Order: sequence, then structure tokens, then C-alpha cells
Amino acid sequence: MKTITRRNLLKGIGIGAGAAALAACAAPTAAPQAKPAEPAKPAEAKPAAPAVVSNPGSAVTIVHWGFSGGNLEKREKELAAKFNDSQKDVKVDIQVQGSYEETANKLTASLAAKQAPDMVLLSDVWWFKFARAKALLALNDAVAGEKGIDANDFVPSLWNEGLVKGAQHWIPFARSTPLFYYNKTMFKEAGIDKVPDTWQGLVDLAPKLVKKDGDNIKVSLFSHPDGASYIAWLFQCVAWQFGGGYSDAKLTKYELLNPDTIRAGQFYADSVNKGKWAVLSKDPQKDFISGLTATAIMSTGSLGGVVTDAKFDVGTAFLPMEKQFGCCTGGSGLAIPVTTPKEKVQAAMKYIAYATGNDGGAFWAQNSGYMPVRKSTADTQNYKDFFAKNPQFKTAVDQLPKTRPQDAARNYVPGGDNIIGKGLERIIVGKENVEAVWKDITAQLEKEGEPVKKDIAALLG
Amino acid sequence: MFVTAASFKKTFRRDWRDWITFVLFAGPNLLLFVIFTYYPLIRNFLLSFQEYNPIIDKGEWVGFNNYVDILIQDTQMTRIMQNTLVFTVSVVALILVLGLLTALLLNQKLRFRNGVRSMLFSPAVLAGSAVAVIWLYIFDYRFGLFFQVLKYFGINSPKWLLDPQWAMISLIIVYVWKNLGYATVIYIAGLQAIPADLYEAARVDGAGAWQRFRNVTLPGLSPVTFFLGVTSVLNSFQSFEIINVLTRGGPVNATNVLVYRLYEQGFTEIQNYGRASVVATLLFVIMFILTLIQLRAIERRVSYA
Repeated sequence: MKTITRRNLLKGIGIGAGAAALAACAAPTAAPQAKPAEPAKPAEAKPAAPAVVSNPGSAVTIVHWGFSGGNLEKREKELAAKFNDSQKDVKVDIQVQGSYEETANKLTASLAAKQAPDMVLLSDVWWFKFARAKALLALNDAVAGEKGIDANDFVPSLWNEGLVKGAQHWIPFARSTPLFYYNKTMFKEAGIDKVPDTWQGLVDLAPKLVKKDGDNIKVSLFSHPDGASYIAWLFQCVAWQFGGGYSDAKLTKYELLNPDTIRAGQFYADSVNKGKWAVLSKDPQKDFISGLTATAIMSTGSLGGVVTDAKFDVGTAFLPMEKQFGCCTGGSGLAIPVTTPKEKVQAAMKYIAYATGNDGGAFWAQNSGYMPVRKSTADTQNYKDFFAKNPQFKTAVDQLPKTRPQDAARNYVPGGDNIIGKGLERIIVGKENVEAVWKDITAQLEKEGEPVKKDIAALLG
Repeated sequence: MFVTAASFKKTFRRDWRDWITFVLFAGPNLLLFVIFTYYPLIRNFLLSFQEYNPIIDKGEWVGFNNYVDILIQDTQMTRIMQNTLVFTVSVVALILVLGLLTALLLNQKLRFRNGVRSMLFSPAVLAGSAVAVIWLYIFDYRFGLFFQVLKYFGINSPKWLLDPQWAMISLIIVYVWKNLGYATVIYIAGLQAIPADLYEAARVDGAGAWQRFRNVTLPGLSPVTFFLGVTSVLNSFQSFEIINVLTRGGPVNATNVLVYRLYEQGFTEIQNYGRASVVATLLFVIMFILTLIQLRAIERRVSYA
């Protein structure tokens, strides 16, 4: 037997590498040669084969980074499966990356590595960061090339939010608004038959609904999320209701030091510290489902999960008013990175047409709680029947025309949601002076907002 | 020295062969270090002087702007440094002291000793984020385990993770619980390595239990204590997953430590890689200095008997 010496080994490796190099050279010439032989294949193949594998290789596969976890991940995967079954040309492969923040950060890395997905779900605060860096495709041509999509059928306010210099970059898909949720069973037991439409009306219910064990609140009237869970999104509506806000659309004026925004901040702090009818929670949705809070304001996108999980009657209503009504839009939409090849863009658009349309879009909206994004969807018989059976979902759609896009300070200032959220924590938990906190937060927003100000003016409507 | 051509050739050939051997054996490992440790370290340092947009992979040199932002203008930085200090000192002290006490206990010939040892060690092998999710339930102030136990004794439960006063304490409890087992096992090994004749000699000399502990056990354990001290300090600086799941640095930055600040600046919606790199550099410098101090000043007192 021959022993392996170093020389032999190296020789062997050399020969192997040479062979590989030769093979690589040969490949391009070998391919055309193989072609003429192909027509012979079907004859050789067993008759059963085509039935088992339907059109292998002919469908365009679209890699999509979508929702992660819980009801939404499950439903989005069902939606994609329905789409894949409905036709043979396009196959959507949903990959789960994590929260909005995690998905966006992975998209950042994948763009640098030239490994980006073909399509991606981006939240309200993220999509513009990518559009501004020219990382997203303008989709006008693709939209025009897909007969399943009529841009005029989309709810105009939602559609227009994704326009950059008039070109569509972010197509509404999982769009939501905050919604007022209440535990109908609890209301009934307390003898309350009318849902309050003002904050004062809600506060007046505290004696009937708050349950205490000594000093501890067992069941609260209302539950706030913490700073890391988009409290700044919900408080934005409250600030509007009180007559204030965060900023104007172009970041030329910040509204936190508006006396009404200060009043709204004080109201939030008092709800926990003075009136003691609300609590700050790690997870208001869990609190609500398990009956630890009688009401909460949460995304409409939670409705599907809440209705499924709650063991009581779930009621929904418009957000409470103060000086006026106020409610913002939110949620996420679909975007296509610039790295996606052209033929895939059109294929992705086919899925987008389905996922927002009267068939797929209705399935998605009814099972998630997100808004139907097309005007015609809510008028279909399917939807009318659904509303009759699930009036909670109708509230959200009825509220939609009264909503407006968010203030630029939260949406477009890098870290805006985080900065304002932390400010609210300082006010509610830290019990700091509201005006002083807002002053500090305004300074931070101004500093972080300065670099994007020009782009907002130049790129957005 | 005069070198003949022949001897030079010979030395060179031997050196060359040594060198090849070295490259063959250490090369792959070294390459991994260069790619995954040294290159990122240098890149991170460079990033800290840039205003960098990761989406288009473009940076602009901005001098010390990021350093000014983080070290001077960031009003929360003092708080974050304090938190880091409190967290590290508490967990390291608790892990060393409790680890030693438990090791002494479990080094006795008790029944079920092995069972207890494995139970104690098991949290150390669990994933930090999984552990933290369980603790979320334990800490819930309205239905959690701690609430139930305290209620039994008629004590009002604090709001643990939601109260700035208690959030840090909660984190320390979880961290120590998770890492105590490891220290205990190392201490047990250390205890068993102390020669029995030292104890005998001490006993013959009339040393009591305390004196034996003070003069035999403790010095005998000093290499182990040193090792645990260094690794615990470094690990505590890197404790991220527990914080991310339990508090995300809140409430009101009460549990925000350097490593979490790094994540916040770089990988949340803020996405400021330049500032995140400043925090990373700061973290590196602090850990480097601490390790140097430990190696230089403390190791001298360690007796490797």
C-alpha cells in the first residue's frame, strides 16, 4: 500500500484544482451542447413524473421578509400559501426575520452583502430611511404593468404616504390605526351600557371598573405600553386630541412645548400616578386578554389575535376625544429593494396585487385586523357579511376616514419614536416635570432631525 | 559574527520549514481571528470617527463629533455609566461570595449532593433569553411567582421591572441566579485541588475552622477566585440578552448599561453606527484597562501553590 506523503498530497490537490479549473472553462461551451439533447428527455422520463412535479423551475420564486411571531406570522404565511396555490407563475417564500426593527436592520446588512430579499415588509418609521438612501425601487412602472392593481382603488391617504417625489415606494399592506378596545363583559357586569367617547367619560368609569387589592391595582381601567413598545405612536393621538402634537410635516416646527401637548403629557402621568386608573404595562395586549385591564388603545392589527385569544366579548370603539378627535395611521407596507432583478419585480407585484386585493387582501384584513387598503374591498358581499358577524372590525374601517398621517417628528426623525417614548417614560414613571422633559426632548429631536429635514422637504409631498 | 554562506543557507532552510509549519498549524486559526476579531475591531474604531449610512455603506469623516455626542452631549451617559458600574460590581461580588459559600456547602459529604450540584449548574447552560422570558412571569407584580410568595407573607410586591428603583435589582437577581452555578462548580474544583495534608498540618498546629478557612482555603482558592473575577467582570459587561428581554434598558434608563446603549444606538430605529462604535470603543477601552489592572496588580497576590 502506498503511504500518503506530503508531496503526494500536494500533487493530488494540484491535480484536483487543475481539473476544477478545466471544468470551469468547459462549462459555457458544454451548456449549449446539452441543449439539443433536451427534447429527448420527456420521452425517456417515466409517465408519472410530470404529474408529481408540476412545472419545476418555471415559477419565479420571490423571497419575502414578513411578519414574525403570533397570529400575524401565521396569517401572512397562510396568505402566501393561498396565493401560491392560486396560480403557477410566482411562488412567494416568506422568511421570518423578527420585529420591524430587526427586519430593517437585517435588510441593511443584506443590502451591503448583496443578499437582500426580493420584497420586504417595512414599518412606518423605517421605509423612508431606505427610500432616502435610494435603496427602494420606484414602483410606478411595475404597478402600471400589473393589471391586478389599480392605484386609484387604494385608500388615497394610505397610498399617498408611500410617495417619494410622486413615485410609489411603499405600498400599503398591513396598515393600521390605533383603536379603542374594551372588555364588553366587564362593562356589562359593571352596568355600563354606553361606551364613553371622551377621556373624561372614561375617567368617570374608574370607580366602577378599577379593582384594587389594598394599594395594588388588580384590574386597571386602562393600560399603557412602555417606551420600547411604540407608546409614542399611541400618545401622538392623545396629543392631537388635546390640541397639540409632535411637529409639523416638514419638521419646521415642533409642537411638544405647545401648552396642549404639555397638558396631554400631564394627563398621561396623572392617569398612573394621581388618578391611579391606568397602569404602565410590559404588554397591554396580554393584560387586556387576561382581563387585567378593562380597556386599552392598541393597533387594529392586534384585533385578530385579541378576538381569538380573549375569553370574553371584545368591544371596539373610536378613540376617546378631548378638545377634538385625533387618530393617526401606522403599520407597515411592502417595498422592493433596488437589488431585486426586473423579472422578479413584476412577479412580486403580482403577489402585492393579490395580497391587497379583494380576495387575498380581504382574507388578510379579516384575519389580522389590519385595514382593507382598497376602497372596493369593504363593499364586497364577503366583507358585508364579515362586518355583520364581527362588528368590532367595522369600527376600525369606519374610523379610517377620520385619521391622518403621523407627525414627521415620530416618523422621519431617526430614532424619533424612541426619543419621544423615553420622554414619556420620564414623565410617567420618572414623575419629572412635563414641560422640562418636553424641552429636553424637543432639543434632541431638533438635533437628530436636522440632517433629514432637507430630504423631507425635497422628497415627500 | 561571521556567517558562512553554507550555514546561512542551512539556517534559512530550517527557519523556512519552521515558518511553513507555523503557518500550516496556526494559519487557519489566525485567519479567523483576523477576519472576525481584529478587522472588526479596527473597522469599529474607524467607524467611530464617521457619520456612516449603513444602508448605502457610505461614511463621511466627522472627527470627534460622535465622541462629543456620546460622551459630552448625551445627558443619559452618566446614568448609563453608573448603571454599568452598579451592575458589574454587584453581580461580580455576589457571584464570588455566594459561589464560594455554596461551593463550601456542596463540598461537604451531604446526601443528594450531586443532584443539588447539577440543579445549581443547570441555569448556566440555558439560553439567556429563554431564562429572561421565564423571569418576566416571575416578576409580574400582579400575578407573578414573587407576588404570590410575598402575598403569603402579607408583603406588598414591588413593581419589579416597571419600577426604576427595583428594575436593576431584578436584573441582578436574574443574572446572579443564572451564573452562580458556574462559579460554584469552578470553586468546588478549586476546593478539591487544595492538598488535604495542608489542612492536616493546620489542624496539628491547632488551627480552628475559621483559621483553616482563612489561612488554607482562601489562599488555596486564590487562582480560582482570580480566574472567576476576571471572567465575571468581562461577562457582566457583555450581558445583553437578559436586559433586552426583561427591561430594554428601561424604565427611564434605569437598567441601561453600556452594551445595551451600543445596541440601542446601532440596531434600533436610531441606526447610528458611528455613535454605536463610540460606545463599543469605550466598552473595549474599559474592559482592556480593567483586565490589565487585574493581571498586573491582583495576580501578584495570587498564590499558585
